[in-house]
Amino acid sequence: MMTDDVTIPIDVAPVEIAHERRAPDTAQREVVFDVRDLAVTYGSTTAISGVNLEIYRNLITAMIGPSGCGKSTFIRCLNRMNDLVPSAKIEGQVLYHGQNIYGDGVDPFAVRRRIGMVFQRPNPFPKSIYDNVAWGPRVLGMKRGLDERVEKALRRAALWEEVNDRLKRSALSLSGGQQQRLCIARAIAIEPEVLLLDEPASALDPIATSAIEDLMHDLKREYTIVIVTHNMQQAARVADLTAFFSLEVGEGRRSGVLVEYDSTDKIFTNPTDQRTEDYVTGRFG
Amino acid sequence: MRSTFQDDLNLLETTLQEEGALVLRALRGALNALEQRDHELADEVIAFDDDVDDRYIRIEEGVQLLLARQTPVATDLRLVLAILHINLHLERMADYCVTIAKLSKLVPDVEPSPRFVEGFEEMGSRCEEMIRIALDSFGDRDLERAESLVELDELIDRANRRVVERILELGEAAAMREYGLRMVLVSRALERIGDHAVDIGEQVAYLLTAEFREFTDASHKTAGEV
Repeated sequence: MMTDDVTIPIDVAPVEIAHERRAPDTAQREVVFDVRDLAVTYGSTTAISGVNLEIYRNLITAMIGPSGCGKSTFIRCLNRMNDLVPSAKIEGQVLYHGQNIYGDGVDPFAVRRRIGMVFQRPNPFPKSIYDNVAWGPRVLGMKRGLDERVEKALRRAALWEEVNDRLKRSALSLSGGQQQRLCIARAIAIEPEVLLLDEPASALDPIATSAIEDLMHDLKREYTIVIVTHNMQQAARVADLTAFFSLEVGEGRRSGVLVEYDSTDKIFTNPTDQRTEDYVTGRFG
Repeated sequence: MRSTFQDDLNLLETTLQEEGALVLRALRGALNALEQRDHELADEVIAFDDDVDDRYIRIEEGVQLLLARQTPVATDLRLVLAILHINLHLERMADYCVTIAKLSKLVPDVEPSPRFVEGFEEMGSRCEEMIRIALDSFGDRDLERAESLVELDELIDRANRRVVERILELGEAAAMREYGLRMVLVSRALERIGDHAVDIGEQVAYLLTAEFREFTDASHKTAGEV
């Protein structure tokens, strides 16, 4: 059962960067996640190893790379989603505002309360539009002003105008793109700090994809967004920072590794590592 | 849809128009420096080129990022490519203004016929008009005005030929010959500014019609043209 007994600090001062066209300088960035030497194995298979990176507040950080490079495994470590995979073993540290979310006594539900997630396929509950968004707040006991909270979440997810006259209708009556925005509304209804998006547009048509991308741009004013995408151009379009993961094969072992992490401008105009260059130019992967 | 992309495109276009306005100021400054033999003003025009270069570089970088990150297609692609070319033409125009400003400082102390100064004033005014039409036709997406640049350029070309003829009549005196040499280059710079304005018109036509074409065929001009 989720509780409001959150042990993780949340009262961090907002950073005024919403109107900046580019990512702020490194010195001005506020670290939300500090990932140190992260490795994940499923049984005898190494999914990722030796991953070190920082994720910054109010920016969109994209994870790109070929299939099997471990980018989804990585993002699932950020809110302990891999706990749900029995064979998964996690080593290293994921510091969220300085606190290791894999540390003793940390409640994974409290982690997921602060760090929401939206998946590849829209997965609304077979309930009304309203109940989908109200579900999280109800479970967490945030029952006061529920109508306002639902409206606010739907507005932030750029869905309110399309559904406000049919909130009691089934969420399953919505289009795929609307369902995905509903899932985003459901995730932000409990006011998390971070949104993890795992291939959020891969099941959507181009117009719905464009709507999601515009939405991400708006949402980063209030949230820190981490997105996994196999669509390189999507990362190029929306992300401030881009991390390129690749699969390293050698001496009988394979493992996903973080090859390069830099501003999206740099990754797509002048990457440092030849492997990144080969991937973004389509010569590999 | 794609609001960031549209914002970026708008910003590039605004910066380009800004660069164009700076080129007009540089040209007016260079012409005044030449006419009034004002070395201080000439130095200002030379220094002012940094402002143009600043816009030029910002647009180059912006186009690079837009191509790398937004993969523009169709009209958007043509617009980005047109901006890339127009940017270069404006920057070259500003360089010619610097050339004129520098030449104005090198003019020997002779008093040639006032017809020279009048000739340059006429060429300069026509150049200004052409730059304005080039920028407006781009901003308004006006093919007819863009194509009208060819006829205006013909007038500048004629004026350029007249200046050359007058220079040949300046006589043998060393100072006059030096003056004539400098003025040939000024005239040539103004004539080239006109050519770049026509090239901008061609970019407008490309943007609007998706056809690569030159308004005039420079390699097949009639005999006697420079």
